[in-house]
Amino acid sequence: MSDQDRADLLALYRQMARGRALEDRVNALTNSREFRGFFHPGRGQEGIQAGVCSVLRKDDYLLYAHRGLTYLTAKGMDPVRILGDFLGRVGGSTGGLGAGTVHCVDVENGIMGQGGTLGSSFTLSAGLGLASQVLKQDRIATAFFGDGASARGTFLEAGVTIAAWKLPVLWICENNGWAVSARLTDVQGTDDIAPRAAALGFYTEVVDGQDVRAVQAAARRASEKARAGQPAFIEAKTSRVEGHYTGDVQPYRDKDDVAQAKERDPLLLAQTQLIELGASDADVSSIWDEAVAEMAAAEDRARLSPEPTGDRIFEGLWA
Amino acid sequence: MTSTEITYAWAINHAMDEEMARDPRVVLFGQDVGRMGGVFGVTRNLFEKHGPERVRDVSIVEHFVVGGAVGAALGGLRPIAEVQFADFLLVAGDESFHKLPKWRYMHGGAFTIPVVIRAPSGIQGGVGAEHSQSPEGHYWHTPGLKIAVPSTPADAKGLLKSAIRDDDPVIFFETRRLYRVKGLVSDDPELLVPFGQASVRREGSDLTVVAWAGMVPEVLAAAEMLAAEGLSIEVIDPRTLVPFDWETVAASVRKTSRLLIVHEAPLTMGPGAEIASRAADELFAELDAPVRRLAGPDVPIPQNMALEQFCFPQVPEIVAAARELIRW
Ligand SMILES: Cc1ncc(C[n+]2csc(CCOP(=O)(O)OP(=O)(O)O)c2C)c(N)n1
Ligand SMILES: [Mg+2]
Repeated sequence: MSDQDRADLLALYRQMARGRALEDRVNALTNSREFRGFFHPGRGQEGIQAGVCSVLRKDDYLLYAHRGLTYLTAKGMDPVRILGDFLGRVGGSTGGLGAGTVHCVDVENGIMGQGGTLGSSFTLSAGLGLASQVLKQDRIATAFFGDGASARGTFLEAGVTIAAWKLPVLWICENNGWAVSARLTDVQGTDDIAPRAAALGFYTEVVDGQDVRAVQAAARRASEKARAGQPAFIEAKTSRVEGHYTGDVQPYRDKDDVAQAKERDPLLLAQTQLIELGASDADVSSIWDEAVAEMAAAEDRARLSPEPTGDRIFEGLWA
Repeated sequence: MTSTEITYAWAINHAMDEEMARDPRVVLFGQDVGRMGGVFGVTRNLFEKHGPERVRDVSIVEHFVVGGAVGAALGGLRPIAEVQFADFLLVAGDESFHKLPKWRYMHGGAFTIPVVIRAPSGIQGGVGAEHSQSPEGHYWHTPGLKIAVPSTPADAKGLLKSAIRDDDPVIFFETRRLYRVKGLVSDDPELLVPFGQASVRREGSDLTVVAWAGMVPEVLAAAEMLAAEGLSIEVIDPRTLVPFDWETVAASVRKTSRLLIVHEAPLTMGPGAEIASRAADELFAELDAPVRRLAGPDVPIPQNMALEQFCFPQVPEIVAAARELIRW
């Protein structure tokens, strides 16, 4: 128990709080129909995204997934740009193409985007790892995905190549046990995803995704392996608290299952750990209040930017 | 600068060799491209010259070949990715129809995607329905891709060099029937063939024929036969479908008042439909005869080598169609 431990956990807590506070704003925009696309809330999974991103360097590559927003802000992206995308403003990271989380981009912070088709990030992360290796850059390429996406064929094709070429790649599977309404054990033959990666030649870690400190420790070990040319894989066991998308009332799911997921909230667990480490209630709540204020201000600023005109669709197809 | 007579395959090899020597960011990967030098011998010596870091064999992973090329480009390389047959590009559908053309646009233009996909295409040698196709039309129907369809060794070299230097993704269709065809090719490493500039292969006044890739030699042979009858055919090879040099085609049709499009891909929804439609739209008043298409029949390509010959337009058919249009 040291001051350093407390400071480290406060920093992780802050990133989880920022991700959740941003998500709360997006949920509100979705519920008010100001944002009319699909948003896939990441409530309950913030610990994985904050924990992994805490060990990455600014220039490490991130290919994120559709679930939540914590990886984006934890990797350094400005929430004004993210909200600009949701609001379909020119000031969004896609310059008005928005709307939604799907294609947020921030090259300076290594955020290389996301595909609309699940499983794209396996091959793309392999290519990014190849570039880093050939150009001798010492950057690692990370890709987040769910248990559902882990079934895509691209997992195998990219995985075997990453292992053969010893590419600096780290894959993070957020295993929440669901893909929309499909329970993992109904549609795949195993509960565990990591053994598949191990079979291909990845170093693997299986971790409790609700415990942000455990995720950080696993990510530290895994990212060091990846940077040294040993492809690595983290399977974080987690729970999806909300529906697949905002507005999904989950008729296919037991109420108990949702209630249990809420109890294992990574922010609540971190709060308990923080108090044990000597932080005060005021320390903890001020972090949350700051995050809420930051995201409210970000939304105000995002709104200052105009909406694009129709000719925007013809810009940027070609280099 | 000198020129040397080399094959179409070797011209492609020289383009890659020169560009890899010029720019260390150019890398090559695909099945058997390394020690073997490619199943058609197109990548010979590149592994020895440019090393295992930059010339890499892969397993049977077409999704990776295309998707990995996109990722490598995002990371600052200029990859050349080879699929053994153009048909296999369809295995990597998500990567070739989505990631490759759309990643830049979807992300608001944040990236460039300087990828070249080399795709050997067309009918030759009884390799059947899944190794013989000419799928350029599928890709022409997908905004965000440039498409090269060279018909001569000189164009193959010059267009591939342009493709490698281009910051946009290019699908480079190589006609397997032409790999052994020889022609004079400049040794000048700075001689590029620009995209979007058609080549008038033969000048004429009675009929414009648009053809590319493996159909150009057939159309030129037909034009030679028709010349003996006193019929004058203008043969236009667009060389790239995206961008498409419509101006050269339109100028020719204004002169000849007749247009025939010849391609190997199946007729229905084939690339010729696009050209014919545009001609009907923009050149209606210039035309003295209907715009006609000669194309592969709407069937899968059989493996029987005698039968596969019926799956792309042959010289006698081209001659007959040309005569009919001129006498309309
Ligand atoms: C190739 C493809 N198939 C289907 C979809 C539609 N889809 C979007 S998210 C999703 C569920 C994904 O489940 P998982 O990978 O476990 O991630 P989670 O939503 O649980 O975070 C599906 C089926 C898609 N976007 N892409
Ligand atoms: Mg899931």
